[in-house]
Amino acid sequence: MSVAVGDAGAVLRGSLAQNLARTLLAALAIALGVALGLAVQLVNRAAVDELTQGVRTIAGDADLTVRGPRDGFSEQVFARLARDPAVAVASPIVEADVRVAGSPEPLRVLGLDLFRAAAIQPGLFPEGGGQYDALRPDTIFLSNAARARLALDPGATLVLQTGLADVPLRVAGSVPGAGGQRLAVMDIAGAQAALGRFGSISRVDLRVTPGTDVAAFRERLAAELPPGVAVDTPQASLRATESVSRSYRVNLNVLALVALFTGGLLVFTTQALSVVRRRAQFALLRVLGVTRGRLAALVALEGALIGAGGAAAGLVAGYAVASAAVRFAGGDLGSGFFRGVTPTIAPDPATFAAFFVLGLAAAIAGSILPAREAARASPARALKAGDEETALARLRPPWRGLAVIALGSLLVGLPPVDGLPLAGYAAIAALLIGTLLALPALSTAILARLPSPRDAPSGLALAQLKGAPGQVTVSLAAIVASVSLMVAMAIMVTSFRTSLDAWLVRVLPADLYVRLPASDAGSLSREEQARIAATAGVAWAEFLREDHLLLDAARPRVAVLARPLPESEAAAKLALVGPALARPPGAPPSLWANEAMVDLYGFAPGSVVTLPLAGRAERFFVAGVWRDYGRPQGGVQIDRATYAALTGDDGVTSAALWLAPGADARAVREAVRRALPGGERLEVAQPGEIRALSLAAFDRTFAVTYALEFASMAIGLVGLSSAFGALVLARRREFGVLRHLGMTRGQVARMLAAEGVVTAAIGTGAGLALGAAISLVLIHVVNRQSFHWGMDLAMPWPQLAAFALGVVALATLTAVASGRQAMGADVVRAVKEDW
Amino acid sequence: MLADVELDLSAGEYVAIMGESGTGKSTLLNLVAGLDRPDAGTIAVGGADLAALDDDALTVLRRERMGFVFQAFHVLPYLTVAQNVALPLALVGTPAGERDARVQAMLAAVGLGERGPSMPRELSGGELQRVAIARALVHSPMLVLADEPTGNLDPDTASAVLALLREQVKGRGAAGILVTHSLAAAGTADRILVLSRGGLRERA
Amino acid sequence: MVPGAALAFPRDHGSHPTFRTEWWYATGWVRTALGRELGVQVTFFRNRPNVAERNASAFAPRQLLFAHAAIADPEHGRLRHDQRASRAMFDLAGADEATTRAWIGDWSFALDGATYRARIPARGFALDLAFDPTQPLLLQGDAGYSRKGPLPHQASWYYSRPQLAVSGSVTIGARREEVAGRAWLDHEWSSEVMAPSAVGWDWIGVNLDDGGALMAFRMRDASGDALWAGGARRGASGTEVFGPRDVRFAPGRRWTSPRTGYAYPVEMAVRAGGEEYSLAPLIDDQELDSRATTGTVYWEGAMRARSGGRPAGRGYLELTGYGAPLRI
Repeated sequence: MSVAVGDAGAVLRGSLAQNLARTLLAALAIALGVALGLAVQLVNRAAVDELTQGVRTIAGDADLTVRGPRDGFSEQVFARLARDPAVAVASPIVEADVRVAGSPEPLRVLGLDLFRAAAIQPGLFPEGGGQYDALRPDTIFLSNAARARLALDPGATLVLQTGLADVPLRVAGSVPGAGGQRLAVMDIAGAQAALGRFGSISRVDLRVTPGTDVAAFRERLAAELPPGVAVDTPQASLRATESVSRSYRVNLNVLALVALFTGGLLVFTTQALSVVRRRAQFALLRVLGVTRGRLAALVALEGALIGAGGAAAGLVAGYAVASAAVRFAGGDLGSGFFRGVTPTIAPDPATFAAFFVLGLAAAIAGSILPAREAARASPARALKAGDEETALARLRPPWRGLAVIALGSLLVGLPPVDGLPLAGYAAIAALLIGTLLALPALSTAILARLPSPRDAPSGLALAQLKGAPGQVTVSLAAIVASVSLMVAMAIMVTSFRTSLDAWLVRVLPADLYVRLPASDAGSLSREEQARIAATAGVAWAEFLREDHLLLDAARPRVAVLARPLPESEAAAKLALVGPALARPPGAPPSLWANEAMVDLYGFAPGSVVTLPLAGRAERFFVAGVWRDYGRPQGGVQIDRATYAALTGDDGVTSAALWLAPGADARAVREAVRRALPGGERLEVAQPGEIRALSLAAFDRTFAVTYALEFASMAIGLVGLSSAFGALVLARRREFGVLRHLGMTRGQVARMLAAEGVVTAAIGTGAGLALGAAISLVLIHVVNRQSFHWGMDLAMPWPQLAAFALGVVALATLTAVASGRQAMGADVVRAVKEDW
Repeated sequence: MLADVELDLSAGEYVAIMGESGTGKSTLLNLVAGLDRPDAGTIAVGGADLAALDDDALTVLRRERMGFVFQAFHVLPYLTVAQNVALPLALVGTPAGERDARVQAMLAAVGLGERGPSMPRELSGGELQRVAIARALVHSPMLVLADEPTGNLDPDTASAVLALLREQVKGRGAAGILVTHSLAAAGTADRILVLSRGGLRERA
Repeated sequence: MVPGAALAFPRDHGSHPTFRTEWWYATGWVRTALGRELGVQVTFFRNRPNVAERNASAFAPRQLLFAHAAIADPEHGRLRHDQRASRAMFDLAGADEATTRAWIGDWSFALDGATYRARIPARGFALDLAFDPTQPLLLQGDAGYSRKGPLPHQASWYYSRPQLAVSGSVTIGARREEVAGRAWLDHEWSSEVMAPSAVGWDWIGVNLDDGGALMAFRMRDASGDALWAGGARRGASGTEVFGPRDVRFAPGRRWTSPRTGYAYPVEMAVRAGGEEYSLAPLIDDQELDSRATTGTVYWEGAMRARSGGRPAGRGYLELTGYGAPLRI
């Protein structure tokens, strides 16, 4: 008797331990989802906060901010604003991101009129230095972050590189109010001189006189300001700043939520199987008087406990990951969106609470179906052996799934909401959830069409799968979800990368590319252009001028590329999508818009649009649309002769060189650098190098995406093996019977392997199909609406094949391994188990 | 735990083994089935010494020469009644045509001729145990091992099932061992053996 | 700068951009229609930092302008004060060279015909005052050459306009009141005033009740002793110019600022020539914090002068360098 009791205790303990392991796994999945979501949110928030803090510091307490082209606008605009009776204080600023000798990244230099900035932008007030140092044209004050980054203490010399000129400045002190912003402050007159921007300023921040109606004043100003100069509240520039990285951030957030979704799916798997396993126990509880509601609540509570534990662990992990990510990868997570920012992770309670609730909700949502199932079962039936399958029969409403998929297909056609592809994301969710809902029907249909194999174990495997589609579904859900998301990302990224590569080849036809170091300041003069063109070995040089115009104060600036573009050559020189339109007689000069311009500003082909060039509104005919992976904020190309005629500016920022036959690219590169004073500063690269750099940057940007996606997939596969393990464990008595009936261990293993192969194959197949569908949504809706660029579908067949095979193999191995684990000696005695 | 057990069974012989819980009735069955190995002694089925066979060979032996009836029926829930009964034939590789005929005949013999396509969950306990009996005998084993086959059944159904079991074992020329602690059940066997700590003895 | 060079007007009413510092400093006592007595101060400073002379930028800080305005109001108990600062640029701030005209935005102090006009729409108050000369210019020192230290070049060009008749309005909050009174204007420019050991100065400008005018100052070193002193008194019988031996300041009661903790001798005994004057402030707290513009904290206050036990006149007392040493 005592032996029997001991046996029962051992069985119970063993079952508990098994369950505990799976429960922990589910909690871990939730933890991972919460951690990723929180980490992404914290890092993004920190980076954006620093960026917007920068905007706030620069705008200070301004009521309104007047901004214009990146290269500035006339300082007379400031003089006029300062005289306006409605203006209490007008603070002019010359602003540029300038290359600093010895530093790989540009430094934001702000030229201030301190007497005015003191009233509006106290955060920019310089400190330290001697009398009048803040007014000298040859001194500069560094924020603490910039000082640390550049390792330049007061007294040291900082060399600004504008164009090809060196401007040495003495570091006179600090900007203590600038927080974590990497910036430098100097006198506005000194900045105009250092940057070669006499007569021009970048912005004016205004405080209105008390009692002024800001909105009405803003409208009046908007009408009075010259074209290309816009006035808006500092909040609008904050939005513009945020919007640059917004789509990227939302994308990452969604990916992190996918990890959480997968975690919720794993809770579903765990709970569904645990409910099946404990069906008889639950039935007993019901017989003993526990109500349906209490039973459902019990299962939901278990889910909540898993969620709470996982979410709590996830918060800790997420905070740690975020801190580490910022320390080691920087605030931009490799994307390049937040350069020049040193963020600090601020653990704000609301965010933590939100992600805790999300984790909890995912776990509870994952438990709802199993809980309802547990409550719904008839105790009398449940007590009868062999009733497990009916438990999951209800997970099989095929039309609901198809309806959700149909809804998803409809969502695809909706426009973005507030610039975000929310409908696209919803469509992906609908496709995914709909497919999961339709899975039982789908797998039943597929299994019914499979021929009966001769081999008895395989036949049994197939019969088992056909007979238990509910259990199959529970395993399939995890496979389909992770495979489809991975496949979708793989297809999207491959399409993007292939399109980018093709585009790079298309837009880099020359042999050498010359450009000024990345900086807002400086251009190459006519004489410098002539010297470059005359360099030995250069057969033909084409020069490009880049300009950045503000068309809408609430959006980032739009790039204007001016280069030789006769209409006859446009189709050949531009990566046009769609036809090159002939300019009708009498129409203004031609302009070619990138896809973002069409989406954001309605620069439709064939329409006539205006660009504010040199303070005048100039009309252009949109002669075509070109593909552009560089300027999601918008970009246009025009003929340089037109640009020069309209602006009187014939400076250029880069050049494309075609070499004479037989000329050595490396020799020409050196010759170009020697051709002008300061020429060693020029960045000269072959198209291959630019291509490699661009693709490397691309891969860096997607590294985090991949990591998040991989985490989701890992959770999915863990869920898969967990599901198999649980199922196999639940079938120990069946294995015992089969052993009695004369199946060898090998045959049982083969049977499990067959089940694994078939399940994984169906799951992977469905995942591939769903993934391909999702990738189309990503390519044509999410990316197009987020970043305004089109791409051509490119399938990574080898990767997909390898991936599919890998998943099937892994599933099979998992099945067999679970089987081995379940097939110990006591499997024989399991035939005696009877609850 | 199990000691001093000696039992010889010939074809067509049907014995019942009774005993208190924990005396090793099931262990004895597992030993005979080749699922456990004895510390000492020999077990031979159809002339084959089980000790000389490895696990796979034992499995094949079980597959070809034995049939099992369990207390909890253990009819596989995801197979139809006919598929369940066909399992042993499938495992020994009986061609499909012959298999179907034998299954149908077997089902008819246990009174379930019409229930072949049904799923187990549609059947009553007594019917399920008939399916189990059909499965245990369909491949004409030498030996049928039944472990408390009526433990989960009401008395009326139990006696019908026991009658069927006896009829089928004896009718097909197999030897049968019925483990039970019900005297009424044991009474359907040719003779009754009692297993105790002292060994296996003929019931007086 | 050299002594003996004659000042020429109206040219020398205007600014002298080649000099490092310059100010137009108007202080006065006014009485409202209801009989309230107020002290008013309007000052425009011009400064040449000499750090961006060759910068072609329109923003180049070649000339800086600062303006202070204050009202000493016994009902308020301390100064109402506002200040402005700007570089001279566009037409937003500047100082005219042809005549007195200095402005920063809508704050201005200018000579309009013979009348000086101050328009100061400040935070919390506004001054709109006309100052009409009733007497000729008073050239300080040697025909306007006013020594400020032991070395000859430690000097400024300096003339005063005592007994200016004030009219106009003072607005405090939303309450505008017509006022009338007497004021004193100093116009002074120099490139090096203070001896290196000087930490500050004491100065008085008093419109005497008999129509006379008294100016006296001393430069102090760190121990509080006079490094240099000077002044002038103009009466019916003519002008006496005082040298270092003719002027003595004897600090009396001190008042300590609750804001800065600096202690100012708000009561003084001043001997000028043969006369002894005792000074008493209109209110104690006339500390002026101009760290946001000229970078200094000083005491600039309306005071009454008594002599021989009888009221002798009303004017302003300036106490600088009582906290940190003053730098111009």
